[in-house]
Amino acid sequence: MTALQSVLAPSGAEAERIAALAWTLFAGALCVFLVVGAALWIAMRGSAVARRRLAADKAVIVGGIVFPVVVLGALLVYGLSIMRQGIAAIAGPGALHVEVTGEQWWWRVIYRDADGSPIESANEIRIPAGRDVVLTLASADVIHSFWVPNLAGKVDMIPGRRHRLKLAAAKPGIYRGQCAEYCGGAHALMSLEVVALPEADFASWLASARDRAAEPSGEIERRGRDLFLSAGCGSCHAVRGTSAKGEIGPDLTRVGERRYIAAATLPTSRENLARFIVDGQHLKPGNGMPPFRVFSAAELDAVAAYLASLR
Amino acid sequence: MLGRRTGWRRILGWVLLIATGGGTLLLLFAWSGLYSVAASRGHWPIVEWLLEFGMENSVETHAPGIAPPRLDDPDLIRLGAAHFLSACAECHGAPGTEVSHIALGMLPPPPDLRHRAHEWTDQELFWIAKHGLKYTGMPAWPTQERDDEVWAVVAFLRKLPELDVAAYRALAYGDVRQEPQDGEDIAMTGGGLRALGACARCHGAGDRGPLSALVPRLHGQPAPMLEEALRAYAEGMRPSGIMQPLAAALSARTIRDVANYYTGLGALPSPSPAQSEPGRRLATEGDAVAEIPPCLSCHDRQALPVYPRLAGQNARYMANRLRVMQQSARERTATQAIMAPIARRLSEQQIIDLAAYFASLPPEPRLAGTAR
Repeated sequence: MTALQSVLAPSGAEAERIAALAWTLFAGALCVFLVVGAALWIAMRGSAVARRRLAADKAVIVGGIVFPVVVLGALLVYGLSIMRQGIAAIAGPGALHVEVTGEQWWWRVIYRDADGSPIESANEIRIPAGRDVVLTLASADVIHSFWVPNLAGKVDMIPGRRHRLKLAAAKPGIYRGQCAEYCGGAHALMSLEVVALPEADFASWLASARDRAAEPSGEIERRGRDLFLSAGCGSCHAVRGTSAKGEIGPDLTRVGERRYIAAATLPTSRENLARFIVDGQHLKPGNGMPPFRVFSAAELDAVAAYLASLR
Repeated sequence: MLGRRTGWRRILGWVLLIATGGGTLLLLFAWSGLYSVAASRGHWPIVEWLLEFGMENSVETHAPGIAPPRLDDPDLIRLGAAHFLSACAECHGAPGTEVSHIALGMLPPPPDLRHRAHEWTDQELFWIAKHGLKYTGMPAWPTQERDDEVWAVVAFLRKLPELDVAAYRALAYGDVRQEPQDGEDIAMTGGGLRALGACARCHGAGDRGPLSALVPRLHGQPAPMLEEALRAYAEGMRPSGIMQPLAAALSARTIRDVANYYTGLGALPSPSPAQSEPGRRLATEGDAVAEIPPCLSCHDRQALPVYPRLAGQNARYMANRLRVMQQSARERTATQAIMAPIARRLSEQQIIDLAAYFASLPPEPRLAGTAR
């Protein structure tokens, strides 16, 4: 199975354990369903002897008390042991640490340099395939829940707390995730992607992600950059290497290379960037960014071209 | 028993018959056109009494129970005086100007407010000025969103009885030249009437700023921002009963010219030396937790020319503008759509701090090259 967002298409040890648990629970539920179905059939259509046996004290005690206690107890022990394995799993040496903060309605993603200085991104978590990744999950406002079903179980992001989640993608690929706890108006549009890259590709990406945004090369992009700065975009968004140092909204230093904008809502393109700048409240109602209808069509296109060039 | 019920039914029948018959007669009377609606004829005494009785009681019932702002506030009185001159004096008279003869032909004739305003409480005057009066010539305020402007007129009405001609003119005209220069001037411009729409009455001109701190300083603001504001006022996109009628009277060319005039004026000295450290921090750093961006990233010199510059702005105007934006139900212009959500995140204390900070900032030197 190659589903983009599914518990039943696990990649990595953590997700495989959960998939096994899911299948076991499905199988157990199926058995219980069959037994109950059989009892129901006997009660309605069975012979008088069979019905008498079904109504006897012994059948009620065994079928109604002992059986559920044993089956549910066993599943509970099994489920808890899997959870413990997940919690106790020790990240391998050289694990990648990433901080992910849920905000209404996007994900702030921070990598740390060797010297601890932050490399910020948003809504797309790039990881090396095959290597352990430890996510530190936090919330900036309300309760969110981080869930990338192909890679790991669901972990809540609680204001004032930091939770850890260890995961590893077995092979390179794209795994989609979703905020799994209702967090307000645009909750349904708060998605993300985990992009697992081959180790070498990841290393070169991280090295370049550290850089400041390059000076725009084209005339339109340069004009877009100037407009971006003079329209005040930099008061909420940062583009490293410019005077835009805002911390309120997503870091845009490499927005052009992310596959999606607006928390995995719209594919990244010059047109969609322009649409979001003027009409973000229709595309993602309630989001924190006011509409910027102050631009003329040419100015808007220049700003979008500049953002698309940030890669 | 049966007989009594029949009695009730009979009475009900008569009542219905009289009501239907009376209604039909009234309709026939109105249809006949015999009743004269001529204002020149006046009302029958009974009708006049009934209308006045109903009006007085309606105003008493509807006048708001809220406490008015301080009405002896000189800034409020000056703003009210300037608006009274252009919007009210024609019909209600003012020191040095009798009630217009055209207005006297209205039914009922508008009262001379120098002598009649005391008959109403502050709240009643406010309600009348805001909502207007049916069956009279009294119009409602052009927008229902600007109670602050209505109170300015009420404050002025309280001051009006004690004003002589000179004091009234000083309040309402500032030092705008009112007297025509010569006969040709009168013949070509209509003489004294022309000053009614003068921006400088409220906003100042040359090296003089606004008389009232509730009025924005326009000196040195970028022309695109001033043009945008005037267009928004004219189209009712930015609610103001004071600015809308004045802006709507301007042509595209006059809007451009007057905007360029104020852009070219040298900056005025800061209105207030009082510093505000919390205001400075918020304006330069913002508050990331409350999602308030730093004001200066859009309001200083290198920002888009459709954004206003705030250094040296009147604190009272700025605080009032932010409050109006907080209360606006809907953002109709491009710049309001950006600013209103941010304004709503500000606390009252933050508004006061920011207004104080910007009022203390030395205004930027004259803007060069603000055209887009």
